[in-house]
Amino acid sequence: MSEIQEVAAPRRRINFGFDKYSGIYVWALLVLVFALWIPDLFLQTSTVKQVLTFQAISAIVALGLILPVAAGAFDLTIAGTLTVSVCFTAWALTNGYGIVVAAGGSILIGIIIGLANSLVVVKLKVNSFIGTLGMSSILIAIAYMITDSSQIVLSTSGYAPFFEFARTELFGLPLSVYYAALIALVFWWILEYTPGGRYLYAVGGNPVASRLAGVRVGRVTMIAFIASGASSAFAGIVYLATIGTATPDSGSGYLLPAFSAVFLGATQIRPGRVNVLGTLVAIFLLATGVTGLQLAGAPSYVTQLFNGAALIVAVALAARTARRQA
Amino acid sequence: MTSATSALSVRNATKIFGAQVALDNVSIDVAAGEVRALVGQNGCGKSTLIKILAGFHEPEPGIEVLVGGESLALGDPIASEAAGLRFVHQDLGLVGNLDTVDNLALGQGYITNATKTISWRKERAKAREALAALGYEINVSMPVAGLQMSERTAVAIARAMSERGTPPKMLILDEPTANLPGPEAQRLYQLVRRVADSGVAVLFVSHHFDEVFEMAESVTVLRDGKLIETRAVAGLTEDELIELVVGRKLEEHDKGEAADREHGTQVLQLSGVGGRNVSGMDLTVHRGEVVGVAGITGSGREEVAALVFGGHERSGEITVDGKTLPQNRPDISIDRGVALVPAERHANASLLDQTLRENITLVDPGRHMSLGILRRNPEKADVRVWLDRLSVKPSGQTEYNMNQLSGGNQQKVILARWLRQEPTVLVLDEPTQGVDVGAKADIHTLVDEAAAQGAAVLVCSTDHEELVRVCDRVVIMRRGKAAEILRGDKITAENITAATIGRDTAEPAA
Repeated sequence: MSEIQEVAAPRRRINFGFDKYSGIYVWALLVLVFALWIPDLFLQTSTVKQVLTFQAISAIVALGLILPVAAGAFDLTIAGTLTVSVCFTAWALTNGYGIVVAAGGSILIGIIIGLANSLVVVKLKVNSFIGTLGMSSILIAIAYMITDSSQIVLSTSGYAPFFEFARTELFGLPLSVYYAALIALVFWWILEYTPGGRYLYAVGGNPVASRLAGVRVGRVTMIAFIASGASSAFAGIVYLATIGTATPDSGSGYLLPAFSAVFLGATQIRPGRVNVLGTLVAIFLLATGVTGLQLAGAPSYVTQLFNGAALIVAVALAARTARRQA
Repeated sequence: MTSATSALSVRNATKIFGAQVALDNVSIDVAAGEVRALVGQNGCGKSTLIKILAGFHEPEPGIEVLVGGESLALGDPIASEAAGLRFVHQDLGLVGNLDTVDNLALGQGYITNATKTISWRKERAKAREALAALGYEINVSMPVAGLQMSERTAVAIARAMSERGTPPKMLILDEPTANLPGPEAQRLYQLVRRVADSGVAVLFVSHHFDEVFEMAESVTVLRDGKLIETRAVAGLTEDELIELVVGRKLEEHDKGEAADREHGTQVLQLSGVGGRNVSGMDLTVHRGEVVGVAGITGSGREEVAALVFGGHERSGEITVDGKTLPQNRPDISIDRGVALVPAERHANASLLDQTLRENITLVDPGRHMSLGILRRNPEKADVRVWLDRLSVKPSGQTEYNMNQLSGGNQQKVILARWLRQEPTVLVLDEPTQGVDVGAKADIHTLVDEAAAQGAAVLVCSTDHEELVRVCDRVVIMRRGKAAEILRGDKITAENITAATIGRDTAEPAA
């Protein structure tokens, strides 16, 4: 490993001074390209609103994922947790429970999933990638059980108060966007300005050294998984209140974009470590690209194509950043 | 010293990183069959020079390198290898769970028969032969992780010395005996001699002067990227060499005062402590006292620090100021005033890609928190004070990443992390491992100061000179027990070495 990295080292370092903010420049470039290419479709306030609204749910999932990744653990249950949350909330609402019970129960389930993940990873010492991969399959099974393998549709008229939770607009944007912003603010504060953030990055950087410096590595990992589980569960509630339909594959499209955003985000703002602002830049960079291409008439599979390519590019860029710093 | 007969001839090597001149117009010649030591403090340019030869760094123009009289294309590891330069790095680059045969084959491929099946019998014979040529007879079918350190070094050297197209002309070793206990180091000296006798030039980087004096015929000293001197080892004294390396005389340490220092109350108490290798260990350390722990590998010496700190599972009882330390809970040990500077700082102590600030405040990051926010400016000011106090170079750079510092400075940063906690018990495990002489002297002074301020200090070390330098008392570990204690003028490097391998030169442990 180290030799391969050293071989690459002699390459001259080219730095135009915007290493940290390259994502913002690329994003601006994308906006410019689409503005010139399809000005009638792209340069609309409705496009801005569409990007922000669609990305609110992805953003909440990705923001939750930042914490375990910062602590050096993968959490592949994020999409499964979102699905279970969507299905449970829909089931609870259609079975006559109130909004508070449905939503509260959902968040509680997210916390329990986080606890179960940390049990598997910390106590049973299963590699987090494998452990949460297994957990996510179990979660999909649970989603099928809840929905009885079909879909639950919430009628717009019958559940109006619930839909208001995400759809009510404030200054032209739905509440879901504000939830994402609020969660981003809280996690940004935790990661940048509290001892907890230091512990997360320390555990991710070197768990042995962290333990020998008094950091409760197991506990830090557990809290990261719980935060991730709760965030994904909350994203599930917002999803249901936005879309109105629950199926056992509601969350399947959220796993990869979240990982793409977090890893691409690790090359931005604070290169070399996953961070909140970088993740937000990445989310909107990806969303702008996908939305622009779709408006220009690209087929719908362009989303998958774009996100997959972005994940690989992101990890390659992150490896390059790490090499440069070494 | 004409370049025509030299195995290696380097003219005008310069390397600039950003604004820093890492290597400044350095020229050296090494003759075939010569053993040359390359010494200097961390950051003096040794590694840069080696990496230029290895093709990892591209030097500034104006340089000329001849290997066996032929010009070497720089910046290409494959060209370096093809020219006959062979490298053994400090970590040896062996795969621990593979045996010697496989490790040797990693560089050169396997011997196969007509059906492209590996001929294991021939491979084993060849591996045995390669090691026998170096004076080693080992089980070549055993995973190398199970070999002794010097045997592993021999395997790495055997691999470097194998033909691979061109015969080796020069062997370059990075700190070859850094991790070897005395007798094993002796074996390695002989090995290096054999390599040189076969006509191959040897260049080794070293911080250990005993290996310089035992192995090398000549020594090249670098300081601040400049060539200071190349001279024969014969007739050179250790003090002269230290002066060349550091550029100043080291202060004479007054041992008498430290030995007579009045010690305070008992602080750290071990009773009946046992772990993997240690059993039934009793020890008391007083306020202001520095106690050393010596022992060969496997004696339990390497485990003592972790046992005291609570990093390992253990039996028995450990108390600090009368309060019991639970096992496996470093966080509680820290609350009770224990600090640990562990061995192998990269693996056990450093957050390499995080800032010095984050590394230093890791134990207690919340100290500068107000209104729910960590205040970065007071934190930086706090860290800067500690960087200055320990004279970490480059000075005042709180936002540098740990991996931008040299080894000695990294060790100081780890020490700063713990001194900042004002510990009642300071445990140091191999505190100056891979650290240059200047930083070593600084670290020893810091240990003195910590003790003077009332800390009970425990120093576990394989560097016996270091124990002589800092300790009031040295506990000798043998077969998992505290077998002997040396005090006062009985504390000499010779006595410690003798005691660790089991000769009776001192009073038995009380």
